[in-house]
Amino acid sequence: MEKGYLAIVLHAHLPYVRHPEHEFFLEEHWLFEALTETYLPLIEVFDKLIEDRVDFRITLSLSPTLLSMLKDPLLQFRYLRHLDKLLRLAEQEMDRTRWQPEFHKLALLYHHRFQKARFLFADRYRQDLLQAFKRYQDLGVVELITCGATHGYLPLTSLYRPAIRAQVGTAVTLYRSIFGQDPKGFWLPECGYHPGDDDLLKEFRIKYFFVDTHGILFGSPRPKFGVFAPVYCRSGVACFGRDMESSKSVWSAVEGYPGHPDYREFYRDIGYDLDFDYIRPYISPDGHRMNTGIKYYKITGETGEKAPYVPEAALEKAAEHAGNFMFNREKQVEHLESIMRRQPIVVAPYDAELFGHWWFEGPDWLNFLIRKIHYDQKMIKLITPSEYLKRYPKNQVMTPSLSSWGWKGYSEVWLEGSNDWIYRHLHKMTERMVEAAKTHKAPNPLERRVLNQMARELLLAQSSDWAFILKTGTFVSYANRRLQEHTARFDRLYHDLKHHAIDAVILSEIEGKDPLFPQIDYRLYAS
Amino acid sequence: MRKTSRQGKTQKTIRTKISGKVSAKRVPLLTRNVERDRRQTFRAKIGRLRQRLLVLERQTAFGKGEKQIVQEAARIENEIQRLEKKVPFYAAPRKKFEEGAFSFPSGYGDHKIVLLIRDPWWIHAYWEVNREIEERTLRAIREKGLSSQKSVLRVYDVTGIDFNGQNERRFFDIVLSGLAHNWYIEVGEPNHDFIVDIGIVASDGSFHLLCRSNRVKTPRFGMSEVVDEEWMTSEDDYWRLFGLSGGYGIGKSSLEMKEFFKRHLLEQVSSGGASGFASFFKMREKERSFWLKVDCELIVYGATDPKASVSVQDRPIRLNADGTFSFRYTFPDGKQEIKVEAKSPDEGETRRVTPIVTRNTV
Repeated sequence: MEKGYLAIVLHAHLPYVRHPEHEFFLEEHWLFEALTETYLPLIEVFDKLIEDRVDFRITLSLSPTLLSMLKDPLLQFRYLRHLDKLLRLAEQEMDRTRWQPEFHKLALLYHHRFQKARFLFADRYRQDLLQAFKRYQDLGVVELITCGATHGYLPLTSLYRPAIRAQVGTAVTLYRSIFGQDPKGFWLPECGYHPGDDDLLKEFRIKYFFVDTHGILFGSPRPKFGVFAPVYCRSGVACFGRDMESSKSVWSAVEGYPGHPDYREFYRDIGYDLDFDYIRPYISPDGHRMNTGIKYYKITGETGEKAPYVPEAALEKAAEHAGNFMFNREKQVEHLESIMRRQPIVVAPYDAELFGHWWFEGPDWLNFLIRKIHYDQKMIKLITPSEYLKRYPKNQVMTPSLSSWGWKGYSEVWLEGSNDWIYRHLHKMTERMVEAAKTHKAPNPLERRVLNQMARELLLAQSSDWAFILKTGTFVSYANRRLQEHTARFDRLYHDLKHHAIDAVILSEIEGKDPLFPQIDYRLYAS
Repeated sequence: MRKTSRQGKTQKTIRTKISGKVSAKRVPLLTRNVERDRRQTFRAKIGRLRQRLLVLERQTAFGKGEKQIVQEAARIENEIQRLEKKVPFYAAPRKKFEEGAFSFPSGYGDHKIVLLIRDPWWIHAYWEVNREIEERTLRAIREKGLSSQKSVLRVYDVTGIDFNGQNERRFFDIVLSGLAHNWYIEVGEPNHDFIVDIGIVASDGSFHLLCRSNRVKTPRFGMSEVVDEEWMTSEDDYWRLFGLSGGYGIGKSSLEMKEFFKRHLLEQVSSGGASGFASFFKMREKERSFWLKVDCELIVYGATDPKASVSVQDRPIRLNADGTFSFRYTFPDGKQEIKVEAKSPDEGETRRVTPIVTRNTV
């Protein structure tokens, strides 16, 4: 009998980026990179685990914007084109590195990976990766949960209940249309929780959500079991807190596994390193260098001189780190069980894109970890939050504390000098949306389209990503542009609607630009 | 599992519609789908060609490089290039609406002040004061024979109080400069309730309200005093679990623990650092000091009869359609003999050229 449980939670999210009006669009590469380096490698790991009949549990949050992009034919097509280009580059690299065996081997490795990505994406899953995820869910190994429709950071929206309702409701509707059932869990964007937000989750039959460690620890009444047991909010929705120890060992820049010298170096990409004329066809057409995904060096150490990457050694290290992680969880769970006198749950949530994109060996690490847990020990077992709730339906009732998993633990990342100006506009849009929804209880079909599109534009403007980008200071002009575009579109539609002057051409044009959430219902703002 | 996917179904209906009577022109979505089908056919074709190419390449790599194989590979490569050019993948939509013309308004003619919570110690206020109301207030001050001294934010601590404008626990003022329309306020009190008034202080010190904010509660930073009878836990047990939850182990004082935790939150990187979506924003680190990197590549190029078979270092290569060829190699230190051999189409004649190059870095 196991002494406790480990819930690995991966949160996959990218903002909605789709620009049919441009032949090449740099920011669309976020999706392409994440596909090649994270989503497809994870799918490969899961497929293989299922094939090998390894029993496992992963909780996977797929943000609605990401779902929408994975479903989008234009982006699917563009990704294939991108992959074909990468394959061509890898082929060239195989030739170019012929006199340097240590690099030649790596060129072959990348070529092989791209080839495999192409096989998974185009042949096995016919460009529809959602079918892959649905299959995992149907097999019971992966619990798919949803997230705010456009990853809006809810604590800074909490004045406007309808805005939160729309973020939740739109996400749930999309989830249901794709996966044919209600989502059990909800990933609060950035783990941003404001007491009372759980009432809105309750409205959509959500069973649980997550908060960062201090959300539970500073909750009231005083939590009995720390973050090692869920609590129920007064709404009856369960809340799981993040375990710090397991989290830190993966993401911490200092103590974390991904910083090991044997692992692949993220920054040394041939898109930056190689001769301009040679790499030109594979970088931005305006000549700006960018990541290609082909990287030949290992982290090596605190030095500028990087040594060539050795995949075998890195894989060895990933296995060792997986073993270490498991060992620590065993000890942790054993100790906790002796104090708590019930089986603890250790919740380890991560950004999915950390695995593969940032930490190249991450998917291998996960693969090793799952297999080791399955074969090598009996102390811990992988579990999903909903399974744990079935096993332990009786839990303490409390109100978690306002918190997020961002830097400093609260809202400062999304509310500071660079980005605080957006809230007065977002709030105004919300007020206008609510007003429009309330005054149009029985719209004609054209008005309904306008109202629904207004809802889409408002949701898109609310993405936490724009505020985040403004703070980080890179891609700033893109974030500004998106904020401006969605606000402009919303503004136009709102005034057209108000003055009974709807321009059907402009409406179609805008609908064509942001064609996500087909079943969106603006009435969410009216209730 | 055998069910047709939803997407498959939609596509099918769309296709039937097209063969029916809906004109593609009127419904752009449909054209898009036709376009998509066409593209996908091309893509599938390219994929198949690419796979064939790979098989051929593998054969040549194992020294089975016969002339036909190399020629077939060349043919396939040209075909791929031809197809790639044909595949359309974007359409610039007609543009009637210009988002670029929009600029964020400086105000909406509203009269309000809004509080947002930044963290347990800070709140943020933004406001917009209606000109008319402001002037009316100023007039009222003048009519009382006073003059207006300064605009202030009056921050009230209203923890546990149903605020009526006078019964606050304490308040403090922040003097505003004329142009400010938002402010970060250090309230310094976790788990307290605040309301902020924006108003004018007159020459006799009286406060004249312009607008009152929403009420916010800063989050608690520490252990709740409320204990649940059913889930009773002592302070010691609480801090023990706290230490374990935070990954600090046990045996530290509560004060130490809180300090640890604060430090931990500062180091928190999930959203501000090196993981997940954030990693798309990590630019290459700046080199620490002055630097220089030098590397060498070597280009070998030439031309022969387009139908000839050519090998470089005993490895068959593909010729361009006009018989030219070009190779690019990374060139580490050392000596390379680059034997280039061409056989005439009838295999009767052989030409050989062997450049020998040495790289020596000092």
